[in-house]
Amino acid sequence: MKRSHIIAIVIIAVAIAALVGSLYDSSTYADLEMAMANPGKEYHVVGVLDRSAEIIYEPSLNASLTTFTMVDLAGRSARVNLNMAKPQDLERSERLVLIGKAGTNGEFHARDMLKKCPSKYNEEHAIEG
Amino acid sequence: MQGIHYIGEHAWAGQLGHTLTIISFVGAVLAALAYLIGTQRNDDGWKSLGRLAFRVHSVAVLGIVVVLFTMLFKHWFGYDYVWKHSNLQMPMKYIASCFWEGQEGSFLLWTFWHMVLGNILIWRAGKWEAPVMTIFAAVQIFLAMMLLGIYVGDVRIGSSPFLLIRELPENLGLPWTLAPDYLTRIPQFADGRGLNPLLQNYWMVIHPPTLFLGFASTLVPFAYAIAGLWTGQRKAWMTPALPWTFFGVMILGTGILMGGAWAYEALSFGGFWAWDPVENASLVPWLTLVGAGHLMLVNKRKETSLFTTYFLTLVSFILVLYSTFLTRSGVLGDTSVHSFTGDGMLPGLLLFMLFFIGLGVMMLVSDKGQRRFYALISLVLLAIGVLLEVQVGAILLFAALSIAMLVVAYRKSFSSNDPEEALWSREFWMFIASLVLLLSAAQITFSTSVPVFNLLLEPFGEFFASLGERTGSSFIAGLADAQLAPPGDAIAHYNKWQLPFAFIVSMLVAFTQYLRWKDSDMKKFRRDMLLSVLIALVVTAVAAWLLGYEPSRMQYIALLFATVFATAANAIYIPKILKGRLRNAGPSVAHVGFALVMLGALISTGNKEEVSQNTKGMDLRYLNEGFSNSSDILLYRGDTVRMGEFYVHYRAKEQEGINLNYRMDYFAVEPRDFRTGDTVRVGDMLFRAKTDHRATAVFLVDQPENWEPIEEYTKRELWYAEEWSHTRPGKFLFELAPFVQLNERMGNVAEPSTKHWLHRDLYTHIRYGDLSTESDSIAEGWMPDRLYEKTIGDTIVTPTSIVIIDSVYTVRDSATKAMLGERYTVYAAKLRIRDLYRADRWFDARPLVIYADGEAVAGKAAELEALRMRYGLATVVGDLNDQQSLKLGINVAEAEFVVMQALVFPGINILWLGCVLLALGSGMAVWQRVRSTKPSEA
Repeated sequence: MKRSHIIAIVIIAVAIAALVGSLYDSSTYADLEMAMANPGKEYHVVGVLDRSAEIIYEPSLNASLTTFTMVDLAGRSARVNLNMAKPQDLERSERLVLIGKAGTNGEFHARDMLKKCPSKYNEEHAIEG
Repeated sequence: MQGIHYIGEHAWAGQLGHTLTIISFVGAVLAALAYLIGTQRNDDGWKSLGRLAFRVHSVAVLGIVVVLFTMLFKHWFGYDYVWKHSNLQMPMKYIASCFWEGQEGSFLLWTFWHMVLGNILIWRAGKWEAPVMTIFAAVQIFLAMMLLGIYVGDVRIGSSPFLLIRELPENLGLPWTLAPDYLTRIPQFADGRGLNPLLQNYWMVIHPPTLFLGFASTLVPFAYAIAGLWTGQRKAWMTPALPWTFFGVMILGTGILMGGAWAYEALSFGGFWAWDPVENASLVPWLTLVGAGHLMLVNKRKETSLFTTYFLTLVSFILVLYSTFLTRSGVLGDTSVHSFTGDGMLPGLLLFMLFFIGLGVMMLVSDKGQRRFYALISLVLLAIGVLLEVQVGAILLFAALSIAMLVVAYRKSFSSNDPEEALWSREFWMFIASLVLLLSAAQITFSTSVPVFNLLLEPFGEFFASLGERTGSSFIAGLADAQLAPPGDAIAHYNKWQLPFAFIVSMLVAFTQYLRWKDSDMKKFRRDMLLSVLIALVVTAVAAWLLGYEPSRMQYIALLFATVFATAANAIYIPKILKGRLRNAGPSVAHVGFALVMLGALISTGNKEEVSQNTKGMDLRYLNEGFSNSSDILLYRGDTVRMGEFYVHYRAKEQEGINLNYRMDYFAVEPRDFRTGDTVRVGDMLFRAKTDHRATAVFLVDQPENWEPIEEYTKRELWYAEEWSHTRPGKFLFELAPFVQLNERMGNVAEPSTKHWLHRDLYTHIRYGDLSTESDSIAEGWMPDRLYEKTIGDTIVTPTSIVIIDSVYTVRDSATKAMLGERYTVYAAKLRIRDLYRADRWFDARPLVIYADGEAVAGKAAELEALRMRYGLATVVGDLNDQQSLKLGINVAEAEFVVMQALVFPGINILWLGCVLLALGSGMAVWQRVRSTKPSEA
């Protein structure tokens, strides 16, 4: 076998491994129901902030925990523990994307959150990771 | 609307802009056609016509730029683009940022650079002018179309920056657009909406033009490659294309890293690179362009891997188009920090990209019949996609067809039976390195494209669902939903996959230059490498120890070694092999730069330290083991708190224009000296110092000799005693003032403040804070009040206290009465307050409220410094004699605080030094090649 063939095979193998591996790494958009059904799995859940429910952020208890309620696009709502300082303008957000897992008591533990705010032309930098 | 004479509108500017846009479009079309015919017939007349048309196009583009700048400078807010992207308060120096903030302006910037490069090529390209400029003009046609903003039937083509607000489709026919003086009558037109605060940064003045010049310069090698295929000069095009390729590498690389510098200085995501889709989209063409340039070097010596050279050259520009498509069509949607919304650009951008993919594939096929076949089928697919609206199917078929044609082209005209290059030859390893760069680019592109996959998968939902059912694979079944999201932790994902690529490339960068073309003397090679390997081993061992890399972090140690090896080998190459001839040192300098960028990135991110630890309060890992406690620190105004190796003191909050500065003083940590008789608290006990001594780190070590327990003490003494600590704030070191830019309309933006040392940076930004300013009526030093509606006997739990509402009474002493008179009634609430954390620590508070004629007019809150709380009485409603029926409004406020994140990035200057060297080295290499190539040769 020529060396170029070996190289080609190695490259193709690495490429397939990298691409399939990357695909497996990718997360899934889900609604709360699906996330609750698979508590151990990480999902991206899209929804809106429930403005009628209380947003709790008590830095003197813990500066990296914000608790609020989110309603997903299917209309189901859940209490969310977000492991971040309360994002600026959370109340103004138009849409939230939570990245995290369901907890055991019907709450959702978000490790990270993206948010979209209204009234920003181009939406540039609208989401703050 | 005919006949209305609008006042102060400067409508001529828009009309001029529109006209120039149309001229630029027509000029590009003419230039493309004339150059095309000129190339086909080798006719100088047509070529001169093409040149003339491109000149006209150039003048028009220049004119458009000047008109748009004029509109922005003069604040003609009647124009949509001006109104949306600028305002009166904005400093003039950022007018350039306004120019390219929007879609249209950034397309204009891109067109502008193509125009400049095109004119240089007309001047320098000699016999290559006609075919190369055909491609340039063709690209300009598409870009000019993006700016046209005209309707063909119901379809709008492009979007013009020269529209007046009254001309926007949504405003057409509204009554106000008929008023001649609408500009002065409607207050909204007095000022624009302003520039996104994040873009008001000097990096944003220079980053976009540099990046777009980089994007534009990928077109030069692309055009040359097509020209080579077109005119049948399969190798000759590389000589003139080569300096341009490395020029592109230099400029695009600089542009990308400037973006990183901007992110680091102005954004608060805590780093210079976040693997955001937009960042990735600009990095990927750079990777392939680097590969392409190196393969051209190989091919100049020996025709080998010619197909790969073509592929990488063509794909670099295609990837620029793809990146434009990703970031501007709106497909990224929720996944990116800084993508533009679609605005109906998707079809145009898609066609733009597909056209040049098709062109590239078609030109690689050498057989005329096959070319025609491919072109014909592509056009049929286009028709199917557009007319029958089965775009996804058509695109997938087009992709399959293109891949098939590529295979055909390769087998027919590029596979060679030449003997293979020797294993230990420079060309072989350069080829491998280029392939690794391509793989790296492919992985990044793939993961970034996840939102695109959803679009492509959607029509096949049922197919995947049934396939998933039959195979029992939940993964395949998952594809049916087309709900793929990007990796949850993007940074970890990309680092995992890219680290091995970085390792291999760094290793190849280290030794490949030492190999000779064709074949090498391995003895000499080993001897030459020995010093670099030894240096790398020693430095790696020391650095791994200093950085605290455990053997389990093998991949970090490997990359550390590879980057140090690459740095050392390329640095030594200059005196040893080049004998110090700096003229030829460009590649070595650039390679050192590349290796240092990798090394700096590795150290600064791998050893990034979050010094802002949350030490008190609840443990978040209770809630979820994935949660971290350690990213934020809480600072009360006036507090001095230990943070890493500093004491940080939150001194003041000051407003300066639109910025709220949080002034933080940093102090050195010094050992604590105690004197005989000092009293300290340790847990629930009090101790008195027996000796004068300097504290060690552990109290239990000091205690037997230096401290005696105090047996009898009151609770009060315990509460007020100072807690033992072995350090104290020492001398003042520096101030950092992270700030929040207040922007009512676009949202407030926290911007970091960073202390730079030679070997590391301390990077801080505000995560949460009270944004009330002096003009607001909130008491200085307190967070906004929280109002509780309560009755007697109720409790309120606050972050530090439990409040029990005991009773309410009126204050009727003669002094008060004499002062206020009969109209006023003063109510006082008796509050019993307990420390939330100490069941035996009780306080009393008596806030007052003054009523006049049934209205609360004033009040006096009770402050409890020990608990950092303030309690106010807002309202009292009801009969005092029936205390249970009273309705009370109680205000509770915490002392003002901010939540801050502080990160230490060690070795980040290695990265910036690497950036400078990378750009400098590439520039030296370009300069060297330009000097050695006469225009006549080109």
